[in-house]
Amino acid sequence: MFFHNNDKSDLNDIADIPREKESALKDDFKDSKSHQNNQNWLKKNYKKYYFNFYANITLPEKIHLHEFGFRHFEGEKMHRHLSFKNSGELHAFVLKFAPSDIYCSSSLYSRPTEPMDKKEWGGSELIFDIDGKDLHLECALTHNYTKCHDCKSIHPGVLAKCTNCNSSRIYIIDVPCKNCIVSLKKEVTKLVNFLIDDFGIERSGIFIYFSGNNGFHLHVLDSDYYPLLSNERSEMASYLLGKGFKMETLGIKKTQGDKFVPLSKSKQLLEAGWRDRILKKLKINFYSSKNSDSDFSKQIEKLENAMKCDFQQMVLKTVDDLSVKIDPMVTMDIHRIFRLPGSLNSKSGLAKILCNDLKSFDPFNEACFFDKSKVDIVCFSPVSLLFKGKRYGIHEGNNHVPRYVAVYLISKGLANIDLKDIQDG
Amino acid sequence: MSIKLGTNDLAKYPFLNEASLYIKDTHFDLLEFDRSEMSFIINRSFEKIESFIKNNETRHYYKIDKFEIEILTFLASLLILKSASIDIITKKFALFESMRFEKYLIDDLKNSFKDETKRLILLKIFKEVFKIDVYAETKTIELYKIRVPEYIRRSILFHEQEWKLINRTVKDGYVYLDVSEIVRLFRNELSLLIIDKIKNMKSITFPKQVLIKSQKLKNYWDSVNKKTDVDIVNKKSVTPPCIDHLYRVLDTGENLPHSARLLLATFLLFSGKSIEEITEMFKKLPDFNERITRYQLEHLSGKTGSSKKYFVPSCEKIKMENLCHETNVCKGIINPVQLLGKRMKI
Repeated sequence: MFFHNNDKSDLNDIADIPREKESALKDDFKDSKSHQNNQNWLKKNYKKYYFNFYANITLPEKIHLHEFGFRHFEGEKMHRHLSFKNSGELHAFVLKFAPSDIYCSSSLYSRPTEPMDKKEWGGSELIFDIDGKDLHLECALTHNYTKCHDCKSIHPGVLAKCTNCNSSRIYIIDVPCKNCIVSLKKEVTKLVNFLIDDFGIERSGIFIYFSGNNGFHLHVLDSDYYPLLSNERSEMASYLLGKGFKMETLGIKKTQGDKFVPLSKSKQLLEAGWRDRILKKLKINFYSSKNSDSDFSKQIEKLENAMKCDFQQMVLKTVDDLSVKIDPMVTMDIHRIFRLPGSLNSKSGLAKILCNDLKSFDPFNEACFFDKSKVDIVCFSPVSLLFKGKRYGIHEGNNHVPRYVAVYLISKGLANIDLKDIQDG
Repeated sequence: MSIKLGTNDLAKYPFLNEASLYIKDTHFDLLEFDRSEMSFIINRSFEKIESFIKNNETRHYYKIDKFEIEILTFLASLLILKSASIDIITKKFALFESMRFEKYLIDDLKNSFKDETKRLILLKIFKEVFKIDVYAETKTIELYKIRVPEYIRRSILFHEQEWKLINRTVKDGYVYLDVSEIVRLFRNELSLLIIDKIKNMKSITFPKQVLIKSQKLKNYWDSVNKKTDVDIVNKKSVTPPCIDHLYRVLDTGENLPHSARLLLATFLLFSGKSIEEITEMFKKLPDFNERITRYQLEHLSGKTGSSKKYFVPSCEKIKMENLCHETNVCKGIINPVQLLGKRMKI
């Protein structure tokens, strides 16, 4: 055996985005013949991808010190605590098994194949996850789908209950639109600015990846931050999320008469960080009121009247607007394994890929590596997709679509492969 | 550029390597503490320890003597504490000694913005003692700055909101701090450094005078340290893991943050302990002050102040304060006091 795993007991660990619930619901669909057909067909296509595009895979420098994990088309279980001596070993493994998902630790370990408490942690990259679901976008309510666990029906939009059988055992299939991607990019840009301006991280040390589904992963390589432990990373996450902000940080205090005035003049404050962002956003010129407390209070009152909002609420709302909607659990979890850059995401069939130019990046073009040869699928619901610059109006029932569209819809659980394509490959 | 510490610096900061080198260079033998002219040093050291332990008092020791006297006093104090080997006393001494050094550091740092040599000396001290680069920002503002990871590593030990990174000025990878803040940030480390110095003393033949003083210290400790193994809660009930953890920390004489004291005090009050019993327990805290402790307990119990009785913080709040040590027994509870009830029903 050319891969190494000393621990056979811990195969159910969650990696990447937890999907226990989703898996539990999806399980009901899995035993069906059509599900098996889909999985077999996807696996063949994944094998082709890894044969033709293995160069997309970006490996960490010291591959032998990283933990790897896999999911296979044959089951939902995560197989982790694996390691590879070199790129060649991993390449052979991937071509042989064509896994549905490939994960790699952001941490370095002396013994990556041991159980977690014996691995000997040696530092970790900083990782930030910006996921579409955390943005709570209004558009998602219309273009996503609701799948019922009980009657198996699929409905356009996000519903609390199945409209067919009234069951509340449902799960959401996200099909991000252009607006979702634009909003995600805005969050990424905010995060990059925080990392550079506040944390002093070089732009060249920040790697932005499209996650392969509905989000972005930022990997930060900066030796200063490498040794930070979980609770220390959590503090960074809180900073970015704007949690725990105190009004005094703005350099003001509330008087007994409930008015905001500047803190004592001996308190030295810099125009930087959160304070600077908030003051700029609210257009408060701290030193314009000729240093008079009453002038400052008047400035605040004027603002309150204009915005029809209490100043404190205004500040907290501004903090929320300016904060970056990262998933803090991802940043603080130093033992998590992450989707390997260049590998395919089984939730969509798109690749986790480096975004060299975030502004122009189009995941439905640049992260899509399957060919345009036509295949037949049976779709469960009408879907509108924009792939490689072309709009596809998919109707319920039989459709003749490019392979990349088929891979996407089948991965999403919105379609089945038409049986005759199983023989075609 | 090589920065040389002055003798006044060594007198104020006798824990520095250069102070140890001074002892080494003078070929001072520890047994020389038994010489009659050294009894002044031994007595001075013991009085200082006694003052810290009995009176929680540092202010009489702010005045600096000649550097040779200060260095030898510091050394003799460490020897007495090593010989006595009472963890709680060692920790209490270390805390008060670090608070004393803190005062000198604050004064020196405040004066250092206009005195480059002084500033370089202080930055050298930070580098040597805390293994950290501290930078001064003197152009438009008089602040010090340290790298963000260095700040976070230390600030997460504080539970007050003002220490959270979001409430700090963060710019270009640095956190900006004023003089008092930067010194406060390192208090724990200074205290640990002193404890380490005591613990790392090996194969010592203690001078007789040191043994006499350490015995005196042991006798004192035995006399005041009544058995305080207060049964926190009824033996028949489960002790919540967060409370159990605090009790163990308290028992080793470690310091507890304000939020931890509040949790422990409200819990003990809820479980029926009297203010006297709780005060007795809190005596193990290195900065224990009976008057303040009683006042705060009376306030929490609603006997003074607004007569509002404070309830035990919820599990959610405990988690937010980083005080949660959840185990299986905590399943389904939202407040640690529920464990008392659960078990009692059985």
